[in-house]
Amino acid sequence: MDRRTVLKGLAGAGGLALTGGLSAPAIGQGAAARTLRFVPQANLANFDPIWGTQYVVRNAAAMVWDTLYGIDSSFQPQRQMVESEEVTDDGTTWTFKLRPGLKFHDGAPVLSKDVVASLTRWAARDPMGLMIKALQQELTAVDDRTFKWVLKQPYPKMLYALGKNNSPCAFIMPERIAQTDPFKQISEYVGSGPLKFAKSEWVPGAKAVFEKFTDYVPRQEKPSWLAGGKQVMVDRVEWVIMPDPATAAAALQNGEIDWWENPIADLVPVLKKNKNISVDIGDPLGNVGSFRMNFLYPPFNDVKARRAVLMALSQEDYMRAIVGDDNSLWKPLPGYFTPDTPLYTEVGGEILKGKRDLDAAKKLLAESGYSGQPVTCLVAQDQPITKAMGDVTADLLKKLGMNVDFVATDWGTVGSRRAQKTPPGQGGWNMFHTWHAGADCVNPAPYTAIRANGDKAWFGWPTSAGTEKEVASWFEAKNLDEEKAAIGRLNKAAIDDVVYAPTGFFLSYTAWRKNVSGVTKGPLPLFWGVSKSA
Amino acid sequence: MLSYILRRIVATLPVMAIVALFVFSLLYIAPGDPAVVIAGDQASPEDVERIRQSLGLDRPFLVQFGSWVWRILHGDLGTSIFTNLPVSAMIGQRLGPTLSLMIVTLLLTIVVAVPLGVVAAWKAGSLIDRVIMGFAVFGFSLPVFVVGYMLAYVFALELEWLPVQGYTPLTQGFWPWLENLILPAIALGCVYIALVARITRAAMLEVLQQDYIRTAKAKGLGQGGILFIHALKNAAVPIVTVIGIGIALLIGGAVVTESVFAIPGLGRLTIDAILRRDYPVIQGIVLLFSFVYVLVNLMIDVTYTLVDPRIRY
Repeated sequence: MDRRTVLKGLAGAGGLALTGGLSAPAIGQGAAARTLRFVPQANLANFDPIWGTQYVVRNAAAMVWDTLYGIDSSFQPQRQMVESEEVTDDGTTWTFKLRPGLKFHDGAPVLSKDVVASLTRWAARDPMGLMIKALQQELTAVDDRTFKWVLKQPYPKMLYALGKNNSPCAFIMPERIAQTDPFKQISEYVGSGPLKFAKSEWVPGAKAVFEKFTDYVPRQEKPSWLAGGKQVMVDRVEWVIMPDPATAAAALQNGEIDWWENPIADLVPVLKKNKNISVDIGDPLGNVGSFRMNFLYPPFNDVKARRAVLMALSQEDYMRAIVGDDNSLWKPLPGYFTPDTPLYTEVGGEILKGKRDLDAAKKLLAESGYSGQPVTCLVAQDQPITKAMGDVTADLLKKLGMNVDFVATDWGTVGSRRAQKTPPGQGGWNMFHTWHAGADCVNPAPYTAIRANGDKAWFGWPTSAGTEKEVASWFEAKNLDEEKAAIGRLNKAAIDDVVYAPTGFFLSYTAWRKNVSGVTKGPLPLFWGVSKSA
Repeated sequence: MLSYILRRIVATLPVMAIVALFVFSLLYIAPGDPAVVIAGDQASPEDVERIRQSLGLDRPFLVQFGSWVWRILHGDLGTSIFTNLPVSAMIGQRLGPTLSLMIVTLLLTIVVAVPLGVVAAWKAGSLIDRVIMGFAVFGFSLPVFVVGYMLAYVFALELEWLPVQGYTPLTQGFWPWLENLILPAIALGCVYIALVARITRAAMLEVLQQDYIRTAKAKGLGQGGILFIHALKNAAVPIVTVIGIGIALLIGGAVVTESVFAIPGLGRLTIDAILRRDYPVIQGIVLLFSFVYVLVNLMIDVTYTLVDPRIRY
């Protein structure tokens, strides 16, 4: 008898008196083995993947709601709910047919009218959806399994848009749910994906439970990211929210959880030493570090000031501040696109390469007319990544001779303040830090941060006619060679105008118990094919 | 007494109203916007504005406040901006873990701290007294999260006696409920035990110097009888006060403890709500906490009359 058994016995005796003999339910080893306990990157605080676009919502939604197409590991859209598609020679009329036997979690069949309603809601919120909507002549259900999208002019990236994995994905919901205003939250979570959401067990901030959907009919192809056969090997997936990384690390070592999505770099050595734990890169597409400068006000309304910052910054300093001494976790990034993806390019990235030239940067800054006015730098201290980058930037700007107004605050405040277009001294700002998922930086379609269309662009409101011209070129490209050429020109134009400052490319780990198998690398945690032994 | 309790309860209403107005105003002027958090990084300013409108956040302060008060008067704490769930249901989900943690910590404190304080006073100036007071200083000085990590490392990771994290409701068994609470209660209780032990010692020392204690000794009463029947009862008022005030400490400490031990209680809900600017949830929790404070103060006052019959209201 071990000490824990003795403790249990003693407490049991006491408990018998206090609770009239209530006892713990016996959870057999088999049942435990069929439940996968997962610690996600963040709290699942809401569950409408169109209304709220946080990555954690997308990740949970990908289990519950299926998509018409799915992007595979070679970035190609593959059929998922769709059985076939046809496009007219002029590229304006797409006719899609659904796979037979698709069912929602409430038992109702998936019909074309559900798809039409879902795509309509998605298109109101998604940047690519908005582009298609602008070209749309009609989107109609032809029969129960066939629907048609008629456009005024071709949209070559149609299948990519329907299968893309960045938020908001084109998830298919029952018509009654999809008819909800896209700016209001849904309250029913019925999908047709491989797992059902157990709403009654949802404790926001603590736990979210997903049960295997036994009526799900997976495709026959091998699974690859959001494409292929999504075979669920466990009965339940429990998301356990743990805000404290040390607690998550201890729980993983103790066997209280099975899989931790993104262990922080500081704790990885401890996990690697544990013989019961596997540690590997989770998302091969990693992240692109970034700080954005406000094009509307001095000093960064002058391209010379922006270039001076690029000329002086050391991506290595930023990356070491984020990931520590593990060199395998980061790469310099003389450009804007995700390394090791088909469109990656370094064209025009010379300013970010080689030895850092502080003197030349100071000279360029002086030429921009900078005369010591405060530079308001917003830094969210509650996000380890932005905090680390903010500290490096403050040091960099001081070395450049800038007068830094360092605003240390939280992400909620940065999120609202960065939307202010007022001057920095009146509630606005000069720069803020963030990062972009590498999956969003593989091409211009999901890449909001690369757009430079002034008032319509992302925060910082960059204007760069060259960048915008090449974004359009990429959308019109007919093959990979044309796409690559357009991206090369785009990268150069964006760096010349410094649409934003890339601070490097970094990866993060994922960790799981060795009795869990089938964990694969991907832009989001993928639960199909993952099994667990006792 | 009953009329006094009723009067006190009625008197809490204006206090809570003032707290509510204060909290609502503070949130209104504080930076940060839930619509921005909801919309995510990809959203345009127009999208954010439409979400603000759909949530009613674009309405004037007085309209928002008035509508909130009206709902409160009808027993409705509102709906969470993020989860779309009723605030009362969310608080209800989280109340059990926090109450459990507080009850276990409180019991642990009373069982450990009061005897320690009594013994320290009884052996004042001795090695035992110095050791106990030394531990009290130690307990005071260590932050909750440091004690928490140390306990988790030793008792969960090394010895594997207890779990690291989580909470199991009492309905699933006494031991599953208790085993999740032992380490957090010790971590949270350290400061509290130290505080109560020191106050108990001080109060006991004062009482032990009174004439009636000398008389009791002269009559040949045993040491235990003198300490626990005569002295402790007369020293109880400050001890009860500090235990009551300590409940406020527990609520504050629970925020950290619940994070360290991943307990889904009100402390974590509060932090999550503040970081996301989930106004209805923050307002609901603050109202609840205000009520608890007022109630605890009332209970302390009532307890005075039980431990000291000379006190009358």
